[in-house]
Amino acid sequence: MPTTSFASLDAQGVKVEARLEGGVLRLVMSGSLEARDPSALFDPYWSNVDQTLRRKGVKQVELDICGLDYMNSSGILTLVRWAMTAKTDPVYRIVIRHDRNLTWQKVNVPVLAKLAPAVVSMAIP
Amino acid sequence: MEEPGNDYVELRFGPRWTYISCVRKFLAGFFLIGLSDKEQAERISTAASELLENAVKYSSEENSYLRVAISRGRNEVHLLVENPADPEQINVLRREFALVTAAEPEAVYLKRMEEAARAGKQSRLGLIRIRYEAGARLRLEVREREVVIHAVFTLEEA
Repeated sequence: MPTTSFASLDAQGVKVEARLEGGVLRLVMSGSLEARDPSALFDPYWSNVDQTLRRKGVKQVELDICGLDYMNSSGILTLVRWAMTAKTDPVYRIVIRHDRNLTWQKVNVPVLAKLAPAVVSMAIP
Repeated sequence: MEEPGNDYVELRFGPRWTYISCVRKFLAGFFLIGLSDKEQAERISTAASELLENAVKYSSEENSYLRVAISRGRNEVHLLVENPADPEQINVLRREFALVTAAEPEAVYLKRMEEAARAGKQSRLGLIRIRYEAGARLRLEVREREVVIHAVFTLEEA
């Protein structure tokens, strides 16, 4: 059943804190995502975020991953799926705030922005 | 492969998923000492982690093991991950290698992301991530019911 509010998450070594502030959904991720099958948990989570954003008419998400030390490729794929879903009917933007001192973030965030430029962009440091 | 110097480590362990994170962190710390380059140490440990994840997912079950060895030569770092594998999985791996080495790393990474997003649960992004993010040259070596994946990282001149 779809929820009407933005849920936080704390599982598989990762926390996602969700807060709606001034019409912007702020999602702060921390921890390290190295689970064998993160899609089982994160695909439904991002899907619910997508649906709730649409239902509430929220136009911007700030995804802060500075505190996310590491993400395996299966974890990255869950973000890819969210970006691709958002891209099919672009009604909100995802702005990713990342830490350029973490190599995985410095390399992968620009790729996500290139994958879905209509909906994903990098926060200006 | 050059003769290993002091910056050399080799580990052999059972294919348990929960060991991989521990090995990744150890390798990052180990090579941070030898290379004095945090970014390069993270690239190498990420590559090792992705190869080990693949090895756990796709290695044959019986009497299984993983071996990871990393050594530093004068101008490069050589990483290898070895594990037993069924002939069927070896063929899957051969096809993956052909796909991920078919074009420029960024173009392949983007294409694989789009394909993986549409497909099932398995990401299949590990090998191309190693090429793109870690900047490694990949080589597949097949022995009888064993696979060895080599990743070679060129070190920049100091």
